[in-house]
Amino acid sequence: MAQVAAGDREALRQLYQATSSKLFGVCLRILSDKDESEDVLQEVYVTIWRRADRFDASRASVMTWISTIARNRAIDRLRARGPLARAEQIDEMEIADGAPSATALLESAERAGALQQCLSELDERTEKAIRTAFFEGVTYEALAQRLDTPLGTVKSWIRRGLMKLKGCLEP
Amino acid sequence: MSDTGPEMVEPEALAAEHALGVLTAPERAAAERRMASDASFAQAVDAWRVRLGPLASEVPAVAPSDEVWPRIERALPVNDNNPQLARRLAFWRGATVGAMGLAAASLMVAVYLGSRPPVVIPAPATAAPPMLNASLSTEGGQALFVASYDPQRQALIITSLVPPGTDPLHVHQLWLIPPEDGVPRSLGMVEPGTAKTMPLDASLSQMAHEGSQLAVSVEPLGGSPQAGPSGPVAAVGALGEI
Repeated sequence: MAQVAAGDREALRQLYQATSSKLFGVCLRILSDKDESEDVLQEVYVTIWRRADRFDASRASVMTWISTIARNRAIDRLRARGPLARAEQIDEMEIADGAPSATALLESAERAGALQQCLSELDERTEKAIRTAFFEGVTYEALAQRLDTPLGTVKSWIRRGLMKLKGCLEP
Repeated sequence: MSDTGPEMVEPEALAAEHALGVLTAPERAAAERRMASDASFAQAVDAWRVRLGPLASEVPAVAPSDEVWPRIERALPVNDNNPQLARRLAFWRGATVGAMGLAAASLMVAVYLGSRPPVVIPAPATAAPPMLNASLSTEGGQALFVASYDPQRQALIITSLVPPGTDPLHVHQLWLIPPEDGVPRSLGMVEPGTAKTMPLDASLSQMAHEGSQLAVSVEPLGGSPQAGPSGPVAAVGALGEI
């Protein structure tokens, strides 16, 4: 990342090769549109290039930092479609929630493991709501429609769930 | 119900919700602004991003098409991050260390060098000028556009938070209004729901500084028929360092 900050294009290309499939997956999951996701992916790496000097390894891993940028850009793009964008489930985009991939385990086994563990201690519906919110970047409103549950209830599930999650991750 | 217990309170709840990504467009814009001005809130959001971040690794990787990298390379600003200057500085740093190591045995050389014009060492790279940001809001305070001006690239990046297709008979035209003369300069059209990078020419980029206003007016298709805005102003905001 320091080389990227110093303006080394080759370093950015290597970072792209190592991470673009992951970030593209994140964008695609949120936007479910290949062209839009590629536009966002482009913006993401240009942003990484320009902001690499602000990356702080003591606060987050490179992967967390760049996937946060990708999620944010993708969610901004999704919001542009309106607050109810993706209130309907698109079946073919459904992945096996709760089943960590092999890469998840390899990449940050311990941290992902702790998060998995803590998520699984929540109510099933709370866990599902938090996962859907994270993976698909939808608003509370869209989530409430999707789960066919009143907005206030969904909000309360998530807020309580996140509170528990925090307590579980940092006892 | 087994997930009982306390709900989170503000601002922690807002920080968590922003990191999770459940806020609406105006709420997201407000949270981003707050992060820029409220360090403890920004820290809370970052902490939540770190907590939830590992979830992203569960999303299956999908290879983008081969055209994306060349597009990224073309989009990289030529002078950004100033690689050439960085290399030159690295060279000079190395050269200086070497010279000091040899100093004692090099009096003759020093005398010889002393007779030559002094070596001009390039000034250290000054820190990049800060980005300026503006949130363009309606009179009622609703953010409709978010803009950033990058002085290094001399480009304005504007994002419209207006849902596409709201009003197909009109367009949104962006104006830059420097406080010096208060005259609006057109920067071009902003399509609803899109983000756009607008390179500014030298005279416009001089006008893009802290305190300059950005405004968006509602215009007939093709833009304002006159030099300044002809339709109502939808949103206004001032550029500032945040």
